[in-house]
Amino acid sequence: MTLKLDRRQVLRSAAAGAAAAFLSPAGALARDRLVIRLDRDFQNLDPAYRIGPLEANILRCVTRRLVKFKPGVVEFENDAAASIKQVDDKLIEFTLKEGMRFQGGYGELTADDVKFSFERFNQPGPGGKKSTYAKDWDALDGVEVTGKYSGRLVLKRPAPALWLIAIGDGSGCIVSRKAFDALGEKTAVQLHGAGPYALAEWVPNQRILLRADPNFVGPKPYFQEIVLRPIQEGKTAQLAFRSGEIDFTSLEPTEAAEMARDPSAAIIKKDSINYVWIGINVEKKPYDDIRVRQAIQKAIDVDQVILGAYNGTVTRARSLMAPGLLGHWADAPVVKRDLPGAKKLLADAGLPNGFKAKITVLNRPTFQAAAQIAQANLAEIGVDLAIEVLDTGTYFSSGKGDVGKNLELSLQRFGGKLDPGFQTQWFTGEQVGEWNWQRWRNDEFDRLDRIGQSTVDTKAREAAYIRMQQLMADSVAYIWLTHEVNVFAGKTWLRPSILPNGDDWQYEHFLEA
Amino acid sequence: MTRVEPGPWRYFASRVVTAAFIVVGAITLLFVLTQLVRGNPAEVLLGPRATAEAVAEFARRMGLDLPVHERLLQFFGQVIRGDFGVDIISGRPILDMVLEVMPFTLALTFSAIALAFLIGVPLGCYAATHPNGVGDRIAAVLSVGLISMPSFVVSIYLLLVFSIWLQWLPVLGAGGSGGILDQLTRLVLPTSALAIGWIGYVARLTRSSMVETLAEPYIRTSRAYGLAESKIIYKYALKNACLPTLAVLGLGTGRLFGEAVFAEVIFARPGLGTLIYTGISTRNYPVVQAGVFAIVLLFAMANLATDMAYAWVDPRIRAGLRGTSAGRR
Repeated sequence: MTLKLDRRQVLRSAAAGAAAAFLSPAGALARDRLVIRLDRDFQNLDPAYRIGPLEANILRCVTRRLVKFKPGVVEFENDAAASIKQVDDKLIEFTLKEGMRFQGGYGELTADDVKFSFERFNQPGPGGKKSTYAKDWDALDGVEVTGKYSGRLVLKRPAPALWLIAIGDGSGCIVSRKAFDALGEKTAVQLHGAGPYALAEWVPNQRILLRADPNFVGPKPYFQEIVLRPIQEGKTAQLAFRSGEIDFTSLEPTEAAEMARDPSAAIIKKDSINYVWIGINVEKKPYDDIRVRQAIQKAIDVDQVILGAYNGTVTRARSLMAPGLLGHWADAPVVKRDLPGAKKLLADAGLPNGFKAKITVLNRPTFQAAAQIAQANLAEIGVDLAIEVLDTGTYFSSGKGDVGKNLELSLQRFGGKLDPGFQTQWFTGEQVGEWNWQRWRNDEFDRLDRIGQSTVDTKAREAAYIRMQQLMADSVAYIWLTHEVNVFAGKTWLRPSILPNGDDWQYEHFLEA
Repeated sequence: MTRVEPGPWRYFASRVVTAAFIVVGAITLLFVLTQLVRGNPAEVLLGPRATAEAVAEFARRMGLDLPVHERLLQFFGQVIRGDFGVDIISGRPILDMVLEVMPFTLALTFSAIALAFLIGVPLGCYAATHPNGVGDRIAAVLSVGLISMPSFVVSIYLLLVFSIWLQWLPVLGAGGSGGILDQLTRLVLPTSALAIGWIGYVARLTRSSMVETLAEPYIRTSRAYGLAESKIIYKYALKNACLPTLAVLGLGTGRLFGEAVFAEVIFARPGLGTLIYTGISTRNYPVVQAGVFAIVLLFAMANLATDMAYAWVDPRIRAGLRGTSAGRR
């Protein structure tokens, strides 16, 4: 049979074909490059010496862990591990998948690399350097290699937080022993993992290029290239987003409304597990009198702070643990504003005319606004509150050592992690002079914290953490403000993947919507 | 064979010694100031999860356990050796970190000063040659307006107009290596933001200097000889009227190295400013010291170059130098 086509038919068919290719979803041009804003450049990509979540986010998509979080949820799935199980309170056994290769020609990922990666946290590094994250693997006694692809994590004590804080997080990233031996301290900026992306280029303070590793064994990431652009200024990031130079950025909650007016932007809000509060130094006069602390608590209008400083974009916190975390105290009391009660308490404490006070805050507009509202609130009971605004370095030393004894009120914000033990550890007696700026000590609290850190029984842990928050409430050293909200702007075509803490971005799971 | 006059060389040597004192003084001051700032750099850098041993070890590696005078001597020793050590955060040589961003700051600063000169001088000349006219008044309002506008506000508006509304220019960065057109495009907005205040300043300075010069007897004589007005203004008057502007631009170049910080931060450009800004916020003192040293050195060199250019351009200074040396002979 012969097929005869005239010129018109050929042109018609070609046009129809082109239109179909253009209009059909399958034929549409898929994006293969994503540009994400970071608020700074990375500083160290060695998992043991990383600085914060920014480095951990890069690490997690360039390397593998034994287990990793599923997209956007706190549920594990196997990553490098073909199988892994907790044999007992102090023993975890794993078997690795075969054929996973490190980038840069550093060979296959084996159990010996797992041993090297985890044990180095508790060993001095080059030049005697200690790991910044040594506490994450504090419970690890050692890793026993039982075969090329199998091994056992032997613990010194039961460590329920190990999965969330170490094995599945940044401290669980598996690096190549050979690469570290060959590169030495250069591993801080030269990362070779066995993950879905490879660190293809780094131009300091300009861009970090992650390129999908063609040799990766496992589901390929959607975007072929991810460019990370360090932009310190939030306003610049907004303008870059609007001009189309970046596709995804985090925002201050107060910036969300303005950004939402951009039709190309999809605003994503995720409740955070961080915690912001006003701490009161219980050792300093007159705050050593609980009636003074109660008066301050009754005078400060937290709802007004939420409305004024956060534009009403966040919800009020009632205790340390955010909803959704193990140990969240759902029945925590909400202290209502009571000016007559506050005045009476001050009078009972021998301060009927009030007193001069000081609050120390970090130089962020939101915190300064919150302090100003507290200042106005306290003026109503005769407390003349001065606001001390400090830059990052000075602020974070203001509660330390002997200097911390002179701290009065302080507005603080700590980042949360998914295990409650991470949150409570800063408030123990041994943290006085370090991160416990309230200088509040309680033996029962410390004992329960030790139980929480070493008990595998979830119910017992939950009870311990709720009781600890009750003790904190009784101390009146904490006025909880908010757990914050994480706000992001992404292009409408983008489907980002972010864990509930808001800090952990899963680049390998970012998709086109 | 031409005989070299000892006067100018002695002048040059004295300026170099002055520049060296400026550098040493500024760095000493920086070390003293860092002592007054609260906050343990090791704790700030390592974050809350750092163990006490890690903090102590870090402080030792940063040299923070040494007395300030020892650290100062150690730093000058590093300067003499041309080796600022290794950044303890990233493990990279600090000299490399400084050298890789320095060209961006130089490009930004010199393009800003050039822009200020190219627009400010003609504007000042025009105002001076049309005193009290409409053009002069407009130039005066424009100049004062430009001087009084904060550069960071200008930056944001430039971005809004040229990047968002018109979409002519990019917002971010310094461009890829090798793409010279891309790099120049990304230089336009930060340069304009940085130069805008200086344009007004240069215009006002040129105007007042030019008005004075135009009243000089030699200008009157030139006019009496019937020389063309354009020749009188641009060949005879401008050369002398530019001398104060030249001196100010020299100092201005030095100041712009410091002012470049905001432009680099707002336009997310790499540069010495960004390096120092990040270093200060994380208390990474070795990097801050190296960055500040580079800026102080550039400042001193700009001053030195201005002094030499001044001596070269102004025949009175040249004559004075020859006279001094002749007198000594």
